[in-house]
Amino acid sequence: MGNFATRRSSTVSEQAGFTRHGDNAFIAQFSESEREVLINLAGQIIELLSERADHSDDDPLAAMVGITSHDSPPDDEVLLRLLPNAYADGVDAAEFRRYTESVLRNKKKAHAMSMRVLLKSASDGGIEVDHENANAWLGAINDIRLALGVRLNVEERTHDELELLAPDDPLRGVYAVYSWLGWLQESLLQALMDDSSNEVN
Amino acid sequence: MVKTKSKIEEEIQAIFNSDKPWVTIVWDDPVNLMTYVTYVFMELFGYPKERATELMLKVHNEGKAIVSTGSREEMEHDVARLHEFGLWATLQRGDQAL
Repeated sequence: MGNFATRRSSTVSEQAGFTRHGDNAFIAQFSESEREVLINLAGQIIELLSERADHSDDDPLAAMVGITSHDSPPDDEVLLRLLPNAYADGVDAAEFRRYTESVLRNKKKAHAMSMRVLLKSASDGGIEVDHENANAWLGAINDIRLALGVRLNVEERTHDELELLAPDDPLRGVYAVYSWLGWLQESLLQALMDDSSNEVN
Repeated sequence: MVKTKSKIEEEIQAIFNSDKPWVTIVWDDPVNLMTYVTYVFMELFGYPKERATELMLKVHNEGKAIVSTGSREEMEHDVARLHEFGLWATLQRGDQAL
C-alpha cells in the first residue's frame, strides 16, 4: 500500500491542496496547467473505459439490465487493474463480470466525468466540492493513479528507483504527475477526515 | 414440544443460508494510499476510524484481510463497491483457506 508520508516527492508544490470549509465544503485552487493535466487525464480514463464497448448492441434488453457479453478479463493491463476479477475461480469471475462489468465501467466513468465537468467550468481554477462530490473525485483520482501506476510498473520498482529516474526518461514526468495526484488525494482525505474542524467556518 | 416462532424462523433462515458465510477480502496494492484505504472502509462499511485503520494495517502488513462477512449476494455487493473505488477485492466462501 502506498504511504504518502514516505513517498513524498520533491515535485510537490507549496499549495495546500484541498481544505475544509465548514461542514460540507472542500476547496482547492488549481493552476492552469494543473487544471489542464487533470482534465486531460480524466478524459483519457473515460476514453479507455469507453473503448471496452459493450457487445450487447444486438440485444437491447441485455444492455438495459447491464449484461454485457464480456465474461473474460480485459487484455489491457490498465483496464484489468480498473476492472479486476471478483473471484479467484475463473468460472465465477466470468459470470460476475458478465452481469456487473458495464455497471462498474459506468460508475468509474461517472466519477471521472464529474471531476472533468467541474474542472472545465472552473476557469479560474477554484474548485469547491461537497462530501458526495469529493468521493467521486477520490475515486477518479485513484483510477488515474492506478492507471499511471501500471505504466510506471509500481509493482516492481522501488520508491527510490522511481525518484531517481533520469531527467530524459519519459516516465519521469508520469511519476511527477502520479506523485502530485497522491498528494492531492491525501489533502482531500485529510480534509474529509478532519472532524475537529467541523465547527470552523 | 412446540417450537417457538423464532426457532422456526431460524430454521427457515438456515435452509436459505445453508452455505457457510462468504467473505470479502481486500488485497494489498502498492498504489492505493493508506489513508485512502482507511477512508473507503469507513465510507462503504460505516466502520469507525479505529476499526478501519486496523483493517487497513492488516492488509498492508499481511497482504490481505477479510473486511466483511455475510451472504454471497452481500459480498458481491461489497466487492462491486470496493472495485468502484479502486480497491483490489475478491470474495470467497468463508470456509475456504485464506
